[in-house]
Amino acid sequence: MTMTECASCADERAAGAAFCEACGRQLSGEPACPNCGTAGSVGADGYCENCGMLAVRPRDHLEADAGEVAAAVTDRGQRHHRNEDAMWLATRGTDVDVVISDGVSASFDPDVASLTAAETAGALLAQAPDVAAADVAAAIVAAKEAVAALASEGDDPRRQMSNPACTIVVAAVRGADVSIGWVGDSRAYWLPADGPAEQLTEDDSWATHVIKMGADPEVALRDPKAHAITAWLGADAGPVPPRTGEFTVTVPGHLVLCSDGLWNYLPDAGDFADVVRAALRSQGTLIDTARALADLANEAGGADNITVALIPVHPADVKE
Amino acid sequence: MPYTAEAFQNEFLALGATEVNAIVTVTSSGAEGGHRTSGATEIIIVDASGSMQAEGRISAARQAAKAAVDCIDDGVHFAIIAGVSTAQQLYPAPGELAVASAQTRADAIRSIDRLQASGGTAMGAWLLLASQLFGLRPGDIAHAILLTDGDNGERSGYLETVLASIAGQFTCDCRGVGVNWKVSELRKIAEAMLGTVDIVAHPSGLAQAFQEMMTAAMGKTSADVQLKVWTPVNASVRFVKLVEPQVMDLTGKRIEDGPRAGRYPLGSWGAESRDYHLCVDVPAGSAGDEMLAARVSVMEGDDVLVQARIRAVWTEDTALSTRISREVAHYTGQAELAEAIQDGIKAREHGDDVTATLKFGRAAQLAHESGNTATEELLATVVDIEDAATGTVRLRRKVNAEDEMALDTRSTKTVRVGRSQ
Repeated sequence: MTMTECASCADERAAGAAFCEACGRQLSGEPACPNCGTAGSVGADGYCENCGMLAVRPRDHLEADAGEVAAAVTDRGQRHHRNEDAMWLATRGTDVDVVISDGVSASFDPDVASLTAAETAGALLAQAPDVAAADVAAAIVAAKEAVAALASEGDDPRRQMSNPACTIVVAAVRGADVSIGWVGDSRAYWLPADGPAEQLTEDDSWATHVIKMGADPEVALRDPKAHAITAWLGADAGPVPPRTGEFTVTVPGHLVLCSDGLWNYLPDAGDFADVVRAALRSQGTLIDTARALADLANEAGGADNITVALIPVHPADVKE
Repeated sequence: MPYTAEAFQNEFLALGATEVNAIVTVTSSGAEGGHRTSGATEIIIVDASGSMQAEGRISAARQAAKAAVDCIDDGVHFAIIAGVSTAQQLYPAPGELAVASAQTRADAIRSIDRLQASGGTAMGAWLLLASQLFGLRPGDIAHAILLTDGDNGERSGYLETVLASIAGQFTCDCRGVGVNWKVSELRKIAEAMLGTVDIVAHPSGLAQAFQEMMTAAMGKTSADVQLKVWTPVNASVRFVKLVEPQVMDLTGKRIEDGPRAGRYPLGSWGAESRDYHLCVDVPAGSAGDEMLAARVSVMEGDDVLVQARIRAVWTEDTALSTRISREVAHYTGQAELAEAIQDGIKAREHGDDVTATLKFGRAAQLAHESGNTATEELLATVVDIEDAATGTVRLRRKVNAEDEMALDTRSTKTVRVGRSQ
């Protein structure tokens, strides 16, 4: 974001003011502390030299706005002390690569794990002009290896004792062709403009596993272990073949990827689709819709980090 | 970079919590590859009061002073003070320092033979003379050894006045020979001068004690290292304590240094590692807030040698906020151990056997739990430990004065926390 100076700015600056009275622009060179408001107080290590609060926390709330092609938002939520989700969004024309990764809080440095996974998988997809499910699988395997390597990096012994771990969900859109892949409980949905929505991923979670084995879904989902994930990326994960899918859209709609910080409040695909469609209608733009969905999770309690990405996909014959 | 500093803590606080604790381990591989960054001056102060004639103490003190002189490296400045009712410089000429060489060491040893015991004990005057001699070499690593066998004979309050005026100018290791000196008096000097205190019960042990002190002193490479602690607005440092290798409260030694920061003197440093316990009170934050509760800098003059950060992160997750930091817990226990022993000794002196038994019992328990076997063995000379795990002890009817004094002086000795999980 850039701001141009107003006519009064120079006078205010000369008078030593921290903010321009006319336009409100901050005049001191260094940013003010968002906690105590002291101008220029944020030190090189990111902490305020006055109140001590960590002032620079870029990952607390990040947005990626690719206009009508795609948008994504990640947010710390209300209860976690940092954002351990990470996202990657790259567009070329209407081609889109998106990755969402959710760090496992019980592991050490999960925020590093998720960022490593998102960047590794994203960078690999960016090199592939045509993407099929096999390429998505290769990107996830590369992400897994990069996250596993974190356990033996750095001096902190906790890295090895409780190695960094995370989930991943990847989607690559090339025209009307969509490839997805995932490990863990981060999800992808297909929301056609009309008709029932489809959850494209199946959580690698205890609840999903026992329901598949024949357990009563209601009982299984009430179990404290329900959300424990059964597959993840990390040094202790063993060989995890990523699950993938590919399809070609025949009707226009939206591809939606998100971490459990959002879908936990709307576990049913139908309810999820209703809320997303209502937000798309009321907000107009993709980025506003993504923001509104993060706000919704925050208003519902924001118990976990929240990440959501929206990508409109059109059938080939409708495309210009 | 020869210095490292690492903070050990559970940074997660429950909502509403305002007390932040951390152990900061400062390690130096010895400045400049083990070479001194400045000169060094050594002063040996030997009590030559009349009482030193007993038990052959004065001849043992002569041997000890000679052994110490032998340990002084070439090029180090040194002097020897004979402590009587006034301070008399034994070597070299009054008001001068010698530069150590084979020749000066031999001269010093000859002059030590002239040391005769007669007169009183005036520790304030001895230290004041040492301070004047150290003043000839500002910036040097300045270290003194003080040996005594009795109570200070100066008017009450004089020693305290002297200590207040000379604190920070040099470090002073104090040794008491025999059992007629006061632990509290030498501890007062050692604490003010950032040194150690110990008992040498029998004169025959003096030479070895002096050799050890001098060898340790010769290993120091930096003269005056300080801990600078920055805390945020509306926060305050509750305490700063050295907790390893011994417990020493540094809180009262704070010198303000710029906004929201103060310095605590650490004395001289060689190739060694020490642990400090910092406790900071901060204003409470909201869930998810992360605060820098203290920025700890190891300083030499204006140079920042290394920094460590003490953080506070508020969370609703009780699984995080209730986690115990092993380092903080261990050293909190070691400080309580020293206090329990000193309280127990005081209670016994006042004839309060009930309190003494309770305090020694707690001490036995803490020493046992933390693996401080040296202290546990010293405790066993004063009380019968029936069950260390539960802290069940019985006061002994007869206790040797030297055993109780050894327990008192060494009560502040700690053991390092085991870092492996």
